[in-house]
Amino acid sequence: MPYVSPRIAPRINTVLGPIAPEEAGFVAIHEHIGYGMPGSELDPQWWKTPEQRYEETVPKLRMFHQNTLRWGGATFVDATGICNGRDVSYYQSLSEKTGVHIVASTGFVGGDTALPFFERADVDYLYRQFVHEITVGVGRTGGKAGIIKVGVSRGFRMKELDLRIYRAAARAALETGVPIFTHLAVDAEPAVEIFAEEGLPLDRVLFGHADDGVSQGKVRDRWIAEQGGRIGFDTFGYDLELPDPPFWGRPRQERLEHFLGYLRDGLVDSVLASADANCSPLGWPGVKGHTVNYLFDTLFPALRQHGVDDATIDRIFVELPAAFLTLQPQN
Amino acid sequence: MTATTSVNTVLGPVPAADLGVVAVHEALLSVLPGAQFAYDIELDRAAVFREVADRLTAFKSAGGGTVVDAGGMYAGRDVPLYEALSRATGVHIVASSGQMETGMLGGYFLTPQTDPPTPWPAERFAALYAAEVTEGMVVPRVERRGAAGMISTAVTADSMTPTDESQLRGCARAAKETGVALTFRAGSDPLAELAVALEEGLAAERIAVADAGEQAEKVAAAGAFVVFTDLARAVAFAQAGDAERTLVATGGAAVAFGHDVPPAAYDELVRGVPAELRQQLLVTNPAALLAVKEA
Repeated sequence: MPYVSPRIAPRINTVLGPIAPEEAGFVAIHEHIGYGMPGSELDPQWWKTPEQRYEETVPKLRMFHQNTLRWGGATFVDATGICNGRDVSYYQSLSEKTGVHIVASTGFVGGDTALPFFERADVDYLYRQFVHEITVGVGRTGGKAGIIKVGVSRGFRMKELDLRIYRAAARAALETGVPIFTHLAVDAEPAVEIFAEEGLPLDRVLFGHADDGVSQGKVRDRWIAEQGGRIGFDTFGYDLELPDPPFWGRPRQERLEHFLGYLRDGLVDSVLASADANCSPLGWPGVKGHTVNYLFDTLFPALRQHGVDDATIDRIFVELPAAFLTLQPQN
Repeated sequence: MTATTSVNTVLGPVPAADLGVVAVHEALLSVLPGAQFAYDIELDRAAVFREVADRLTAFKSAGGGTVVDAGGMYAGRDVPLYEALSRATGVHIVASSGQMETGMLGGYFLTPQTDPPTPWPAERFAALYAAEVTEGMVVPRVERRGAAGMISTAVTADSMTPTDESQLRGCARAAKETGVALTFRAGSDPLAELAVALEEGLAAERIAVADAGEQAEKVAAAGAFVVFTDLARAVAFAQAGDAERTLVATGGAAVAFGHDVPPAAYDELVRGVPAELRQQLLVTNPAALLAVKEA
């Protein structure tokens, strides 16, 4: 009897296994359970007990679940890179206990967060690392990564290691079908060039943090959108109006206007949005009070006030991200 | 040395006089930072334990008493594993705080989430490492355990970077403050690097310099210990008159992941050092270095 390969059902990789895109529901496309710079685990200044970590995290995820009920499912994409405190077995327990789908990353937030072992690795090794984490799993967890994180090192210019990671990510994305998320949308020309060289369609790439305060004046987001890239308005809530804003903060209204510009110009399909909040930060104080639920508490009322309808919100937070996260192998 | 001077081992303080023959500048488990996340590297703790235990047992059979892991806190150091190894083999294990050269540091130290991303200054390194002596060594994000017995760092081979210098100063301060010794793997100018540590007020006799190369005599003349991984060279150096400043090391690691490090045969140190130098190089000098100096 000839072997017949089973039909591969469309899927999104979550830490507890693949789900159908229709099950994803509301998607917070760029968030963190907990992010810390590599090495921060050595400094007890930031340590939290397991009790504290669950206590800080579970209510936020449960609230997220509550907030998303009208969309059916809740999907939380954790954009934490390999060396940044990514903890897939912890995400699995959180997902299992809260009912929130969690998508984990492979890849690196930027070359300057890749530890020496990976800094010394060539494109082929990095590609195999990413493919393994997407198709076999992360470490011993069995949880498969659903996106590849890449990024620009500090200084707003792509470094050689950043480029190596982008190229490896492009190859792994082509083979496995997961999308790529960039940390920062600055210095995008070399990135666009690499993706073109590798044959990866730019709609498989979300150029993240195009909306943050420090990138303004340096980011050519409309140009990226013209090339077919997706634009991440994913730092909603890091407002300079906060009592102690981070250095990447931005005036709330300015960010909102930037975003609304895309909607007014008919570019809704070019954007994705999120809050980039930490449930329980790992190696920095975090921003008190900022959670993924900012989207519901603050962003949506503001959008509605500016005449954005529910269909548009559904487009940005349900339909577009589901399609984006769905594995699309190119071979 | 008084009868009360003690050494911080992973199982608690041990009188310096009880260390016996010491392999003073080794690596037990050596993991290139990041290799713990590599998809094709499996750190099988049972296998690692057996491999290290066998090497410690061979060392003990050859007359060895103590092994010092000089890899610092971010190159594979595994305090609970070392404790179990020490219990199982009866070999004293001393573990170190500190981290290696700039290229081995995580982004937390080099590009912190500040604007601009300024690398850590000396005082922050000093506080982090001193606490590993006074409050205990960290098991990352879990707990502190026993006290570090030495502070270990390294200078970039080509030349000392500003962060190497900050870290070396921080390590020297932590050593001075806590009484444990400082060891560093020298870069291109060992004497100048030693001078940096001395500027922090740490006595030269509390410092060991590895990879001192052509400057070994001058480093010894300045009062610091010189660590040799070339046994023949160490013996020649000691016989030429600097025996009281000479230390030897295998230059290897019991087990390494993510980079090529030759396997360490600690027992070869015992057999390789001529009988007339054994007491000085493997017992007296290490005990003097490791004995915690009263503040």
